[in-house]
Amino acid sequence: MIISLHHQSEVAINRQSVLGRRDFLRAVSLTGAAAGLVSWSDMMALQAAELRKQGKACILLWLGGAPSQFETFDPKPKHANGGETKVIETSVPGIQIADNLPHTAQVMDKICLIRSMNSREGAHARASYLMHTGYLPTASVKYPTLGANVTQQLADPDFDLPSFVRIGNARGAADGGLLGVEFNPFVTNNAARPPENTTITTTERRYQRRLGLLGRLDKEYASKGAQQEVENQGKLYDKAAKMVLSPSMSAFDIQRESKTTRTAYGESPFSAGCLLARRLVEFGVTFVEVNSGGWDTHFDNVERTSKLCSSIDQPYAALLRDLDRRGMLENTMVVLMGEFGRTPKINARGGRDHYPRAFSAALAGGGVQGGQVIGKTSRDGASITDRPVGVSDLLQTICHGLGVDPDHENMSSIGRPIKIVDGGEVVREVFA
Amino acid sequence: MGKFMQRVRGLYVMTGVLLVWVTSVSQAADSPYEAAAEIDRLLNSRVLDSTDSPVGLADDATFLRRAFLDVVGEPPTADDVLAFYLDDTSDKRRVLVNALLADEAFGKNWARYWRDVILYRRTEDRAVAYSRRILVDYLAKEFNSNQPWSKIATAFMTATGDVREKGETALIMAQSGKPEDVTAEVSRIFLGIQIQCAQCHDHPTDSWNRQQFHQLAAFFPRIAIRPDRSGEQPTFNVVVNDSPFQYRRRRQNNNRYRGTPEHHMPDLDDPSSKGVLMQPVFFVTGSKLPLGTRDAKRRGKLAEWITAPTNPWFSKAYVNRIWSELVGEGFYEPIDDLGPDRECSSPETLDYLAKGFTENGYNIKWLYRTIMATDAYQRKSLSRRDYDQPPFLANCPQRLRGDQLYDSLVSALDLDIRTPQRGRGQGSYRGRRDPRALFNESFGYDPSDPRVDIGGSIQQALMIMNGPFIAQGINARRSKGLGALLRANPDDKDVLFELYLKVLARGPTATEKGTCLAYIRRVGNRNEAFEDITWALINSTEFIHRN
Repeated sequence: MIISLHHQSEVAINRQSVLGRRDFLRAVSLTGAAAGLVSWSDMMALQAAELRKQGKACILLWLGGAPSQFETFDPKPKHANGGETKVIETSVPGIQIADNLPHTAQVMDKICLIRSMNSREGAHARASYLMHTGYLPTASVKYPTLGANVTQQLADPDFDLPSFVRIGNARGAADGGLLGVEFNPFVTNNAARPPENTTITTTERRYQRRLGLLGRLDKEYASKGAQQEVENQGKLYDKAAKMVLSPSMSAFDIQRESKTTRTAYGESPFSAGCLLARRLVEFGVTFVEVNSGGWDTHFDNVERTSKLCSSIDQPYAALLRDLDRRGMLENTMVVLMGEFGRTPKINARGGRDHYPRAFSAALAGGGVQGGQVIGKTSRDGASITDRPVGVSDLLQTICHGLGVDPDHENMSSIGRPIKIVDGGEVVREVFA
Repeated sequence: MGKFMQRVRGLYVMTGVLLVWVTSVSQAADSPYEAAAEIDRLLNSRVLDSTDSPVGLADDATFLRRAFLDVVGEPPTADDVLAFYLDDTSDKRRVLVNALLADEAFGKNWARYWRDVILYRRTEDRAVAYSRRILVDYLAKEFNSNQPWSKIATAFMTATGDVREKGETALIMAQSGKPEDVTAEVSRIFLGIQIQCAQCHDHPTDSWNRQQFHQLAAFFPRIAIRPDRSGEQPTFNVVVNDSPFQYRRRRQNNNRYRGTPEHHMPDLDDPSSKGVLMQPVFFVTGSKLPLGTRDAKRRGKLAEWITAPTNPWFSKAYVNRIWSELVGEGFYEPIDDLGPDRECSSPETLDYLAKGFTENGYNIKWLYRTIMATDAYQRKSLSRRDYDQPPFLANCPQRLRGDQLYDSLVSALDLDIRTPQRGRGQGSYRGRRDPRALFNESFGYDPSDPRVDIGGSIQQALMIMNGPFIAQGINARRSKGLGALLRANPDDKDVLFELYLKVLARGPTATEKGTCLAYIRRVGNRNEAFEDITWALINSTEFIHRN
């Protein structure tokens, strides 16, 4: 029952993408390509993007360990809780952020800051799970992570590459859950190298020869009564082989970017991750997560957060600029967040502890109206004084931007319907 | 010589002793073999209609690999296959099953299975690092000494103490000691009843209601898990709070390090209020305890009531699960969703088997012996039936669990595995260097999930297609594995036969022989051709399934 429903939805998505492709070819041939304005590589990228429903994509930049809002997006220079962190002006008059983020400040016109995020979950793994799935972990239902839900709704199942890629790993980030392993993220740990096990160990000719032999031998097993198993395995191997041998695998090779571009993103592993994310989306990947870790600053918060900021600031700004320059920002939502915030009071070790009651997140692209701040915290940063935004509200908002129906229901293994997002409301001002 | 050939040979010497033992079991009300015959009779007379007939029994090679993977979690070696093939005694299948059940690997295999049952549903990730190994050690010991299932279940429900030292704390640790989550898992695992569906609202099609869920949770309010950094390495203790004082409930980070005297059912209209005080009542029988009862008695009594012979769900849940793992399909599916409102494909058979299991004192090995002696178990495998076909016409191919596939690869390719040292002070990432654990991260799955929902992933396929350890493992120039076969056998046909035995525990069919020999001729390079054949065999659908 569950299976057949799933297959139907796959067919439906297929149909949409087929129609989309036709529309695209007509549109392009009439305008851009005919006028000679679209280069071949732009064509590739455009076509790949069109294969996704509405061309929408999402990049989630995850700051694992929970970044201090006081040292990033919600500084409090006039209060003791703010510590020694200074503020800087941004490209948008009236919006100030911590001086740890000078590059980000320059692209504030593309960013919508939410300073009134809040939840009740202050344990890393559970809070991370909550932010990724919208639910707290339970033993009975394995909730899909956002990337899995979005991919299931938007991605073309016949796409060469995995539609959901996670760069680096994060604790509690969840996976395909009840949607099944085919919606698990494709994980690559090092953005500067090809993903594990995607480099063939023989010549391509020999590889094909082996696959042919495998197919012939599997037939014998099928004839003994295991047709279904052989058929499923065959599909999987076709997909894996298609991916490994696909020219699109060059999407994973950031060395193909110009030196100027690579320099713009900076030197950190997160820089490589952001650049890879942009390449992947350009090639048609629907959802990319880039993980940064170590934000759990229980001691020496100021010094450590400043250092951590310098590893993400330049690539984050470069990513938004690059997407914008390539005309991809409109269809690509970029979300920057961690699992909660940090305490207003600085502890005896110069650190800040866990604080889910008020923290910040940053949205850009995908129709988000940049250059604005939503929500406000009190002078001491301890409470929210305006427009609180809950986790479900944020996920509703992301779904809205991507054109995903948050009320879409999937069935758990014991037949319980699970909504993509349960409760919450779209924060409309984000798109104003 | 194969490890298991020694096992089987040793057994032949002991056959006399075994016969005495088997005879003494036969005198009990339900000998496994009489029970097996009755089960087949019940299935044949009541489940199967006249238009569909069951398939025949599997051949020896299929049965051998199936029994090995099912009981000890490892494939038979080439020597095991030959020894079994050459044995012409009529009861060799029974003898084999008994020998496998007596092997230490039996306990380990099923301990790993239950590790996955418990840990895949964890809400506390640290349970993996802290409980995984000790849980397997604990269960392996219990299974190998054939402790009754009731004793093991009781230990899980009543556990206290250091989670690194006591494997039976794993269920509570995996749920952070939270009463509702522990309750849900106790009910799901030991009763096969998903009563947590009633946690938030009454379910229109279920007999159990929300109040009954919270009355069950009222057996567990006094426990919690508490971090303990006093020893050499950080750990957690399952602690009990029998103090009558209500401590400040939740700090801002939602951690719960201390139990509370009683359980309250939350008020759905006012979640921040204290909720309704709940008395401990066991929903199946209505047995209850007064408020204020100490934790030891609460959990002790609940365990007693759950494992009592008068509670049919305890034995049915276990029997349904083990039957499903062995025969390929449960009486109830999903295997942990039983109850009066669910459909059972053959209630008489399940009742009969569950009754036998109960009357034999929840004897685990009795159950394996019985199921594996049935024709239903011993039939050939066919892909899962359509739902309009009757059940149990055939066994069903089962995708290997991560551990089974890992051991199969090691054995097929003669891989050298260095077992990591158990160092200390490496924190939760210590386990990640264990190659088995790494492999399980890719290939493991929650064994409670319906098997039709468990598909393979691209990442799994890529690992066996292109993994560097596979490329090394199939290299014809190695001194072990394929390399050894090629050097020992000048004739390609012999190499092919040995290779099939090693990888698939059977000889090649005529068609396969033809295909492979033609391939060798076409490639024109012996080493290269055999590397390719080995690659194809370990990537084959048959290799990752047990039939």
